Amino acid sequence: MKTFWERLGHAAIRMLEDSADTIVFAGRVFVRIFQRKTYSSAMREVLVNQIYFTSVQILPVFIIVSVFFGSLLIGIVFTILKDLGLTEFIGHVLMGLIVTELSPFLTVLLITLRSASAINTEMAVMKVNREMKTLETFRIDIIDYLLAPRVLNGIISIVLLSSLFSIVLLISGILFAKLIFGMNQDVYMNMLLDSTRFSDIIIMFFKCAIYGFFITLIPIRFGLRASHELTSIPVAVSRGMVNVFAAILIIEVLSLLTKLY
Amino acid sequence: MTMSREYKVGLFIGVTAFIVVIALLYLAISKGVLERIHTFTLSSKSGEGFTEGMPVVFSGFNIGNVHSLELNDEGVVLIHIKVPDRHVKWVRADSSFVLYRPLIGSARIMVNTENLKSPPLNPRKIPEVLTVNDINDAIAKIEPVLDRVTEIAENIQIITRNLSDPKGDFHRVLGNAEKITSNFASKKSLVEMAVSDQESVKALNESLKKLKDITANIDRVLVKIDKMADKTDREIYGENGALPQINMILKDLVIKLKKLDKTVDNINSISTDASEGMKDLHILRSDIDDAVKSIDHVAKKLDGLIGTKKNPEFRVP
Repeated sequence: MKTFWERLGHAAIRMLEDSADTIVFAGRVFVRIFQRKTYSSAMREVLVNQIYFTSVQILPVFIIVSVFFGSLLIGIVFTILKDLGLTEFIGHVLMGLIVTELSPFLTVLLITLRSASAINTEMAVMKVNREMKTLETFRIDIIDYLLAPRVLNGIISIVLLSSLFSIVLLISGILFAKLIFGMNQDVYMNMLLDSTRFSDIIIMFFKCAIYGFFITLIPIRFGLRASHELTSIPVAVSRGMVNVFAAILIIEVLSLLTKLY
Repeated sequence: MTMSREYKVGLFIGVTAFIVVIALLYLAISKGVLERIHTFTLSSKSGEGFTEGMPVVFSGFNIGNVHSLELNDEGVVLIHIKVPDRHVKWVRADSSFVLYRPLIGSARIMVNTENLKSPPLNPRKIPEVLTVNDINDAIAKIEPVLDRVTEIAENIQIITRNLSDPKGDFHRVLGNAEKITSNFASKKSLVEMAVSDQESVKALNESLKKLKDITANIDRVLVKIDKMADKTDREIYGENGALPQINMILKDLVIKLKKLDKTVDNINSISTDASEGMKDLHILRSDIDDAVKSIDHVAKKLDGLIGTKKNPEFRVP
């Protein structure tokens, strides 16, 4: 019978091996994204479909959500700033908190709930149905055909949707600055410009790209781990989603650490 | 018109990317990324409070930032600031630079220019940065208050220590209060509690009884005095009392005096008249004297006439 320490050691080794496998797997996919031969007509078609399902289909709902949620968020933040007498920090709060932190975070949550779970399930079902085996039989590269377009879609969708979310927030900020502080549009823009740093925007884009990469890669990875039994699908999906959320938190913490240093 | 999936995706990517690029371009232009940048060097004896990227402010507006910090061979801190071309007009030869460290908010270098028509600041010139430190000022102001608060806290500590000390004043007072309340509960009276002696209480009670008799006697005497006073009052102030009669006499006397006044006045006027009459009597007497003398003179003359004439007859005028 295994002792507690043996079990702990085994779990730790397994976790490290999993992490190493995921990193190696991520590296392989990442390299493929930058290879020209990856972009075959079939891959491009899959990529277009993925972007369509992930971003275009969700766009009306996303814009409505960002307008309502963004306005509410800005309204609350502005009211708190006014109560605390910190009106001059509107720009810093908008850029430092809402645009560079909350926008990517909320966007990635929405996309994870809608698309990452779908990708995870799709991969698990394909594995159960032995479609992977069929693709391999026809010498179709799984990474090129299945993985790269989805990961690339994740990167493009998160970067663009997050930027859109930020722009909607900043525009609604003009309205709320006028309503709550009676602030002129020029003053608002000046405050915003003063507190905007290109480095923050670059970090935001980079963070969105990393989010996009991992919220598609991890569900694919866990989907591919499903066995050939139907019962393995929910297990693979739930494990994949838990790991996705863990990854989101880790990336958020790392991005905050980059701001500290 | 039905749009193809490719078209929709292309439109989404194109429009979103365009909006993002336009926003970034606007930001770049507004922040003067594409502008010519002027670099000036400032100096300070200490690098404390300076950070790279720190804003340079003129009249509350951001006109540049600190690009880099450097310590030269003389131990002086050199601060290189970058100011975009459109803001360089605010930095003049007579501009002063102040490091402002507010209590709340980030530190900044404030540019104060008295004369905007003075020549532009020479990039080779190194003006010194003065320091205004809200935090230290606030600490200096708060320190005496903190000392007072510490004193108060110490006093409170002493009070609480005394309160909690079983041999302390507070506990003694509480003990005494307890004794008093227990005495209240056990003794028959407050006096007994005060003197703690039964005999003394009896003596005190007897004295009190005697005092009661004395006061009863005094009461009776006072009643008699009261009656006498009442009687005297009636005799003096009553209807037939002395005082009303004296009053009547006095009134009568006043009336009589008034009458006497008139009499005296009449006597006065009579005496005045008599005095004046006396003056007339003197004149009358002198007149009579004169008349008597005249008559005497006439009689003498008549005598002379009668004595000489045969017929002693004469005619009077």
